Amino acid sequence: MKKYAVAYGIALQQVLQRRATLLMDRVGGVALIVSLYFFWRTLLQGKSQFLGYTGAQMLSYVLAMNVLRSFVFTGRGWELVQEISSGRISSYLVRPVSYQGYTLALDLAQKSVHLAASFLEIGLLILLIHAPVYVPKRLSSWVLFPVSVALSSVIFFLMEFMVSSLAFWTSESGGPLFCFELFLQFAAGTFFPLDVLPAALQTALRFTPFPYMVFFPINIYLERPIGVSPLQVLGIEAAWLALLLGLSRALWARALDSYAAEGG
Amino acid sequence: MRAEASRYWRLWLRMAAMSLQAQIAYPLGSVGFLLGKFIRLIFFFAFVAAVFQHTQQVAGYSLVETALFFLTFNLVDMFAQIFFRGVYGARRVVADGDFDFYLIQPCSPLFRMTLTTVDFLDVATIVPVLVMIGVVFTRLPGPIGAWRYALYVLLTLNGVGVAFAAHVLVSALAVRTQELENTIWIYRDVTSMGKFPVDVYGATTRWLLTLAVPVAVMFTFPAKALLGLLSPAWTAYALALDAILLAASGYYWLDSVARYTSSSS
Repeated sequence: MKKYAVAYGIALQQVLQRRATLLMDRVGGVALIVSLYFFWRTLLQGKSQFLGYTGAQMLSYVLAMNVLRSFVFTGRGWELVQEISSGRISSYLVRPVSYQGYTLALDLAQKSVHLAASFLEIGLLILLIHAPVYVPKRLSSWVLFPVSVALSSVIFFLMEFMVSSLAFWTSESGGPLFCFELFLQFAAGTFFPLDVLPAALQTALRFTPFPYMVFFPINIYLERPIGVSPLQVLGIEAAWLALLLGLSRALWARALDSYAAEGG
Repeated sequence: MRAEASRYWRLWLRMAAMSLQAQIAYPLGSVGFLLGKFIRLIFFFAFVAAVFQHTQQVAGYSLVETALFFLTFNLVDMFAQIFFRGVYGARRVVADGDFDFYLIQPCSPLFRMTLTTVDFLDVATIVPVLVMIGVVFTRLPGPIGAWRYALYVLLTLNGVGVAFAAHVLVSALAVRTQELENTIWIYRDVTSMGKFPVDVYGATTRWLLTLAVPVAVMFTFPAKALLGLLSPAWTAYALALDAILLAASGYYWLDSVARYTSSSS
């Protein structure tokens, strides 16, 4: 465990060392949040609620999106593709560490920095534009929301790991990864609450892990009725996590069998 | 002058053909990127359409009008991505020393840096955008005179001009500093605020997007002109700003190249 903690520490320093890259990443997120925030604020003008969201709930959804995008959807998928395609992954495979564990440690370092940055940005936004914030009233929401987000984050890690692993079989895995990340973010509710979509599409999405990664966790925080209880959401997330864990392990074993150490 | 233009046209065609070959050589990757671009377009459009199932207007604009703003954003943005794609690799070109070769080639290094990589995936994506703009045109309220369509085209091209100035600036920064790898992404992220008409933003943000970072000039003004909502003064401002930005970015590029001392050789 200690070696992963060391990897986490080194990765944390590396992320903080590349301040320009970090700043650029954050500017993109802030531009999106400001854009969506004002869009929803304009929509809510003169209305007590929209799609069942009060003004404070909807605007809190947008602000929470920034936190979840930062914590759940920060990952090393593109680096993994590069490492496999260039053969650099060989040097990790011969080390006495689990590559998944090592990658998770690096992921966590990135997530930690981006999470802290997202809280800072939200704080500034609340101060600058006097954004109304919904504060959960039930103690259970304060407990279940972070648990749900933590599960989402691991689910994303496993899914991104599997899609990036396509690089073991093809040098063109960048395209599928790009496509996957975009679809995931829309289907998870990272750009808008999924309540906006037609009912049939919402129902179809419930059979995938995507809405359990952003939409349902935020709704746990907002304490809105979503058809399933918060505990059920956690149970479904845990089931998806177990399934994806099994799949990723099986895929990794097959990937290593076919790995030819190109360039390494 | 005409022979020079013809030479550059042939050069662009050759480089565009090479870009196409490169994309065809990676079919799975290209299909993935293309699908991703379609997903982004469809989901955002579905989002706007779905919102209007629950409301009549956003910031005083109907669904068709909001769609016009959104599609105009995509038109300008995709145009820039198709033709100015080379800027995304500008820092790498400078850091690897390839820019030295650009300087000794018998063509403008700015042309070589910004215009010779063509993204054909966006060519495929821009087609449905153009079709949807055509549909929106037929559903806009009231009779719209030909001059308003002409103004829309002029201001859309003006928006592409501003985008080009921004891309030249990013290229110049790469030549000058050999760093700032992600500068172009700041441009992309900030301009994404033009997906919605700037009227949705608060007064301060709206002014910033009009005067400091001309997102409004690039994306909102063309649609407003078509809707008859843009005054002659703002039209003149948009055209003047484009001329100033193009001149300033051109000057900055020349100055950056003059200071270039080769980074790797």
